[in-house]
Amino acid sequence: MNLTFRGGVHPKGRKELSREAPLRRFDPQPGEMVYPLAQHIGKPAKAIVKKNDPVLVGQKLADADGFVSACVISSCSGKVKAVEKRRTIAGTMTECVVVENDGKYTPIEGLGQKQDLSGITGQEILNRVKEAGIIGLGGAGFPTHVKLAPKAPEKIKYLIANGAECEPYITCNDQLMRSSPEGIVEGLEIALRLYPNAECVVGIEDNKPEAIAAMQKAVSGKERMRVLPLHTKYPQGGERSLIRVIAGVDYPVSMLPADVGCIVLNVGTAYAIGRAVAWNEPLFEHVLTVTGEAVRVPGNFIARDGTTFAQLLEACGGLKDGVEAKKALSGGPMMGVAVGSLDVPIQKNTNALTLLAADPVEKAEKDQTFCLHCGRCSTVCPNGLVPALMADAIHMKNWERYEHKLYGLECIACGCCTYICPARRPLTQLFKQTKAEIMARKRAEQAGGKK
Amino acid sequence: MNHRLNLSAGPHVRDRWTTSFIMKMVLLALMPATIIGIVTFGLSALWVILASVISAVGTEFIFDKLTGRPDTWKDGSAALTGLLLALTLSASTPLYAPIIGSIFAILVVKCAFGGLGKNFINPALAARCFLLISFPSAMTVYSIDGVASATPCAELAAGKVVNLTSMFLGSANGVIGGSILGLLIGGLALWAFDIIHGQICFTVIGAFTLVMGLFGGKGFDPAFLAAHLCGGGVILGAFFMATDYVTSPMSRLGQTFYGVLIGILGALFRIKGAAADSFSYSIITANLFTPFIDTYIVDKPFAYRVKEMNRRIDGWVKKPLLQRIPKPVLALTVIALIAGVALSGVFSMTKDTIDAQKAAAAAAAYKTVLPDAESFEAQNAKVEALEAKVYGTDFGRVYINEAMVGLDADGNVVGYAVSVTSAEGYDGNVTLSLGVNIDGQINGISFTELHETPGKGMLCGEPAFMDQFAGKTASKLTLGQEIDGITGVTITSKATTNAVNAGLDFINTQLRGE
Repeated sequence: MNLTFRGGVHPKGRKELSREAPLRRFDPQPGEMVYPLAQHIGKPAKAIVKKNDPVLVGQKLADADGFVSACVISSCSGKVKAVEKRRTIAGTMTECVVVENDGKYTPIEGLGQKQDLSGITGQEILNRVKEAGIIGLGGAGFPTHVKLAPKAPEKIKYLIANGAECEPYITCNDQLMRSSPEGIVEGLEIALRLYPNAECVVGIEDNKPEAIAAMQKAVSGKERMRVLPLHTKYPQGGERSLIRVIAGVDYPVSMLPADVGCIVLNVGTAYAIGRAVAWNEPLFEHVLTVTGEAVRVPGNFIARDGTTFAQLLEACGGLKDGVEAKKALSGGPMMGVAVGSLDVPIQKNTNALTLLAADPVEKAEKDQTFCLHCGRCSTVCPNGLVPALMADAIHMKNWERYEHKLYGLECIACGCCTYICPARRPLTQLFKQTKAEIMARKRAEQAGGKK
Repeated sequence: MNHRLNLSAGPHVRDRWTTSFIMKMVLLALMPATIIGIVTFGLSALWVILASVISAVGTEFIFDKLTGRPDTWKDGSAALTGLLLALTLSASTPLYAPIIGSIFAILVVKCAFGGLGKNFINPALAARCFLLISFPSAMTVYSIDGVASATPCAELAAGKVVNLTSMFLGSANGVIGGSILGLLIGGLALWAFDIIHGQICFTVIGAFTLVMGLFGGKGFDPAFLAAHLCGGGVILGAFFMATDYVTSPMSRLGQTFYGVLIGILGALFRIKGAAADSFSYSIITANLFTPFIDTYIVDKPFAYRVKEMNRRIDGWVKKPLLQRIPKPVLALTVIALIAGVALSGVFSMTKDTIDAQKAAAAAAAYKTVLPDAESFEAQNAKVEALEAKVYGTDFGRVYINEAMVGLDADGNVVGYAVSVTSAEGYDGNVTLSLGVNIDGQINGISFTELHETPGKGMLCGEPAFMDQFAGKTASKLTLGQEIDGITGVTITSKATTNAVNAGLDFINTQLRGE
């Protein structure tokens, strides 16, 4: 079987910084905990608490507003201090619930109780997932209860557990797979109940032999489940790359994975499903890596939502002596977002804090030259696009060509083209922006058409 | 954490390879061929290379300084252009040629269009073609160990047999970068390291071989095809010129199409046109098509290439092959092919006329050198017995073209005339007719093909030199004894004397009945 996809790059993994650090729980000292209402793709949640309301660990703070939306759960006990705009990871001010943490972490009644799963219906599973506020923990943050409910569940052939963790630096899923493989398998078994004809495949890059061994042990003897080691290559953990490898299908952006018979869940999401459905424990904490050359002791954490990056960095012993962090990333260096301040709360889909001691982008901006037409961007594009021509079309403002001849909207913004470009051109950034503009224009046209 | 953190859009890491790193890798890949070239052709090759590289880098340096642009001369691309140009030149090229060529390449072809990444044709090849047009005689002298001779490629075009091993190793006469071994080492390494695209270099070679096999006139004879692949810069072109990033298309499909175009044009030009420079012209022609290819021939994303998936997208209907290729591409392809065929057609159509004129010239020449004869009787069988091989061993690379027995009005033999070609002229072939009367005395010589340097080699065509031969009876003439050479025209004088000696030898051993 072909264990990899076409294209892709091999950035330096740098996983050795934190890969052997075992997961440890981090409970912040009493103080503010901030919960943004828009942590997921879709409509922001609606706050159901108000100022001075007492809250407990596991209590719902905000309810899903509409179908594509997700609940927000409190990760601490205390009192609601405010519902107001705060600065979040994206750098913008968004509506947040601010809770004054009393540091006691008093749980809500029934939290962590083993549930009887015999005779549970699919709808019940989906409800519990929705109530637990679970979203995709791989990065995009798509509400999981929506993803798990395709139009035709019987047509799903593969339930893919994504343990590839192809993003450089990040190791928290590696540690999760090593320490709690049973928890992941539990969640996958629950999800598998929804799809009578599906096989569950756990895809793990082959640079994580311990995780592969642990997961193989956990799935042994289970029906319809197997572990598939994958080649180490970025973006192996992208949804499309995994589907390409496991189901052998390429599909356009106009289609969802479910349309080609696949559901892809991050292993962290699978774990969260298991906790939520089988143990009545909604999603208020998740695994996260704090790493980078500037960090004194990089580590893997089970961190509570609402903790700030600064607190996590402190738990790692702060910065190395004499080293200045040039750049702080929420996530890894390929798809992560640079943050301007560490005093922002982590969200459900925050999987890493990476502090770089040197910023390659600074040098890249100086080195930028004309496009050489070398075509390397096209060679590495996992979707088979030609980024250099797309950039040309953008510069010529030829949107028709960009969209219909070059299929520019198929870009998944994985960053491979920018990474590889010898002329150091910022390609991915251009495509992200253009995609947003084209989509906005289309929406405006549709709205205009309706009138 | 009281300092500012950098903010930028992702990705936040970059690959190690920059433009200048890649340029340096290509320079490195050219080293085997360069070194073999210097070893084969001696120091003169080194001077040509140095002149070319230094003037290329210098031109870009001066341009950068004068225009206040960033220091692009450091990135290695100018040095690469200079080296590539030098490798396509002969080691005996006068040094002004690489210097002028490099300045033209950098200043006109590259910098004037906006520098690296903006030029529309390959600067090194453009400069080579510019030099070919500007200095046709200086550019076509190929000499090895100080002896000028025809290149294997020229001999191949003349239908002669060549030494494949020496071509492969690079010890044959030709351009400095003629070592196929050296080029293959570098080229395959570049391909293995993903610096050049296999879909260009291998399709060039594939298409060239296919067309050569189909229309080359010798079928798929491995020795014939291998000789053509080893000669005339096919390998240098395929691996180092056609794959030039800036002037080749960007998508895989476009690159494949471009490679095929180069291969086909290269073979057509080779079969029907100028053998040695066919590849320079075919690559430059294909360079001009690159913007069109990039506009119309672009791969679809993987998701749209699979039929089954395509059916699931609304409104998708599979069109027949011809309709899927955009019309401008079809039109351009047709135009390119017609142009190619027309160019080569003109050559082949005029070839008969040229041959007829040559025959007439030869007949007139026979008459000049043997005025007593009323008619001539061709001795084809004896000439054919030579199998178009080099005649004798003492005369250099000399060929007997035709032999005549001169008859008077009564049918008595009055003398003999032969047409002899020496391939060792200063600028290609020297062909002459030699007339010997029945007593073995030279009646005279007459040139039918002599295009040497005016004021130098052409002096051999003057009576002062030519008339020396008349009346000589020796069976072998020596330059400096029976014949006074012209000062500074050693090569042509020698070629002429050799041709005469070969003709005498042929007459004495083959034509004289007694």
